[in-house]
Amino acid sequence: MKPEDARQHTDRCFRGEPATCSFACPFRMDIRSFLDRVARGRWPAAYRVLRDAVIFPVVVSALCDQPCRSACQRTLLGDEALEIRELEVACLRNVKERKPERYVIPPKKERVAVVGAGPSGLSCALALAQKRFGVTVLEREKGWGGRLLEHPRFTEFDEDIGLQFSALEVEFRFGTVVSDLAQLSEFDAVYIATGAGGNAFGLEASWDDQLYSTEQPRVFLGGELCGSSVMEALAAGREASLSIEVFLQTGKAAATFGRFPREYRGHILPHEGVPPAPAVRPADPSGYSGEEARAEAARCMQCDCNICMEACEMLRLFRKDPHKIAVEVYTDTHVNAPFSSHTITRQVYSCNVCGYCGGVCPVGVDIGPLMQLSRRVRLSAGVHPAALHDFWLREMDFAVSEGAFSSPPAGQEACAYAFYPGCQLGASNPGHVLRSWDFLAARHDAGVMLGCCGAPAYWAGDEERLRANIEGIRRTWAGMGRPVLVCACATCRTVLAGFLPEIRTVSLYELLADAEEVRPVRRWPEAAVFDPCAARGGDRMEAAVRALVSRSGTVCVEPGEKNRCCGHGGHIYLANPGLYGEIVQNRTEADPRPYVVYCANCREVFASQGKECAHILDLAFDLPARDPVPGLDEKRANILAVKKELMKKMTGADFEPEAREWDALTLVIDEALRRNLDRKLISGNDIKEAIWRAESAGDKFLDPETGASLCSMVKEVITYWVEYRGSGAGAYEILDAYSHRMRFGREE
Amino acid sequence: MGEGRKIWRCARCDRELVAKKTIFTYMGLTLAHEVEACPGCGKVFVSREMAEGKMAETEQQLEDK
Repeated sequence: MKPEDARQHTDRCFRGEPATCSFACPFRMDIRSFLDRVARGRWPAAYRVLRDAVIFPVVVSALCDQPCRSACQRTLLGDEALEIRELEVACLRNVKERKPERYVIPPKKERVAVVGAGPSGLSCALALAQKRFGVTVLEREKGWGGRLLEHPRFTEFDEDIGLQFSALEVEFRFGTVVSDLAQLSEFDAVYIATGAGGNAFGLEASWDDQLYSTEQPRVFLGGELCGSSVMEALAAGREASLSIEVFLQTGKAAATFGRFPREYRGHILPHEGVPPAPAVRPADPSGYSGEEARAEAARCMQCDCNICMEACEMLRLFRKDPHKIAVEVYTDTHVNAPFSSHTITRQVYSCNVCGYCGGVCPVGVDIGPLMQLSRRVRLSAGVHPAALHDFWLREMDFAVSEGAFSSPPAGQEACAYAFYPGCQLGASNPGHVLRSWDFLAARHDAGVMLGCCGAPAYWAGDEERLRANIEGIRRTWAGMGRPVLVCACATCRTVLAGFLPEIRTVSLYELLADAEEVRPVRRWPEAAVFDPCAARGGDRMEAAVRALVSRSGTVCVEPGEKNRCCGHGGHIYLANPGLYGEIVQNRTEADPRPYVVYCANCREVFASQGKECAHILDLAFDLPARDPVPGLDEKRANILAVKKELMKKMTGADFEPEAREWDALTLVIDEALRRNLDRKLISGNDIKEAIWRAESAGDKFLDPETGASLCSMVKEVITYWVEYRGSGAGAYEILDAYSHRMRFGREE
Repeated sequence: MGEGRKIWRCARCDRELVAKKTIFTYMGLTLAHEVEACPGCGKVFVSREMAEGKMAETEQQLEDK
């Protein structure tokens, strides 16, 4: 996606579009807004919505046959439709001030003649006069009203019409018959609304029913003359006024921007969990009291799609709909000064990019790609908050350099399969990788590729690093004879599918499920499968995991919501710790039963919450339930241990990790402090390096009284501080450590 | 988690720290703030309270820009 495609990305989203009732309304009234204001007793605001839409509210609330009611989505739940017209009447009764607006805009020089003072002529004249065009209404009869004159309540209608025109300058020429358009040559435009059976001046054949225009460029037709009902005629008058306005401005009748959408895009909302609400009946047959009207209006479900915004914690937190997000992502990409109008930065880095929104969206709009676009654009412009992803990028660099190892089976140049466990599986539990490789090696011509797919770079928006890594994978894979990659991580599979489509992959879990001799252990009577977000659409992988769980004798329970992110996705932990915590808690508590997971990150997230859970490989290979979560240093050590063991098996060589000067230091660190530092993503390795550098250069602070030292080290974008005390040869007791992202200069 | 308030001295210059106006930069922006530093070599001291308090808050604000 390119920045210019951002807004198009949410085109299909129909959030904010008029509801079904508005589509049915001849006036396209925003019925949702009207009812919302009535329900809150905001009568003046409700009245403005009503009057602005229907032009003559007294006339319409008396005569409208309410096509909106048959489109009311309440009826789909078995309830009666909202009593719209009665609510309009109640609004008129309750609003105290009905003075029309005065439009403080300069008068325009163009003059328009309206032929006929019936409903359509009046509404057209009113709309044009509000825009300050010079309007003259020519009417054969002695007064306005047209067909309304016959109605028994005409006195009320007359008053309403008088009220709406009272603030406007319109010339009415009653008793004037127009028999030839040549009489109107002094006008710049003419609207002919002479009523049913009236004079169309021979223009009916050339009439355009969308623009109300005719073969004579300055002459427009509409209303009952063209077969409309009274309500349609009222609406047509105003619509015609828009075409006339465009004609006067541009010399050509054309559709205007911002018009009501032509068609409803056909999405009836599910309204899940909405309780039934019977219609409110007025106690007094003459109509609703204010309170009754409010109660009746409150039955409106405000039909608008907010499914993604309800389903996703991140969208719920920021309360921006997809269109707004798209616009902000787009505008953000066009501002690259550091002090910019960026409005969506925190949200961009708070997205798990899990695709759940796209899955629940009736039209499949996924917000993740927009956030990814923004991350990429920011990074390439150098205006990204680098500290938010720095930790994981460094872990990725480690996994693809020191932690990487690839080889076909011993003595071979190439292989048909290669195990691709991903960076986290071995880091989290070396047994998962080693036992899986044993399984594969016994059955298939399988080598191994240890590394990282590049997901951290992808989530950081670091295209350059991602591309370089992808190229590395491609070269290694080609060098091994283009094997099928056996993936244990759904995220790896997604990244590979996206960037290396030429590589065939298969899920390790499918191969395990196909091997009848694999007998997973039964750890619980029943368990819920927690499918990782990246497994979305991976039906065979999901089925394989379920087959393995069932084979163990454990009853496999389907989760309520599938493929939700555990919280880890998109690496939002630093960008939005509060949101991360909320997501983790929601997923942990989503099902009271133990979870079976098949993503190393999911396992760590749940284990760190004390949730009973197991990786499917724990069950498949009967591995002991481990320590909840390995620490940062243990993870790196695990990656190297896996490499060492597999290298020995495949090449016979002894892998010796690269030794750094500070590796020899010993840290004495309280367990609670270590866990706390892990949470702050400060590793023992960084602490050792900081101490070593400080001690070597003598560059530190000292507190002579306690014998404590304090040193700092700037690494990439983070500055680390370590407070420590010597504890024997090469050993240091760690008292505290912290970090910050700002850099400081030495002095001014 | 340290052991009470410490009186830091610069190990290299063996001098007590003094308040000094110092330049901080983040996300392309520069701010000046008075912090403790060595009067000899200028080495700046940042406490945990400051790093995880005021600085973290400012970092967040600048990231949101």
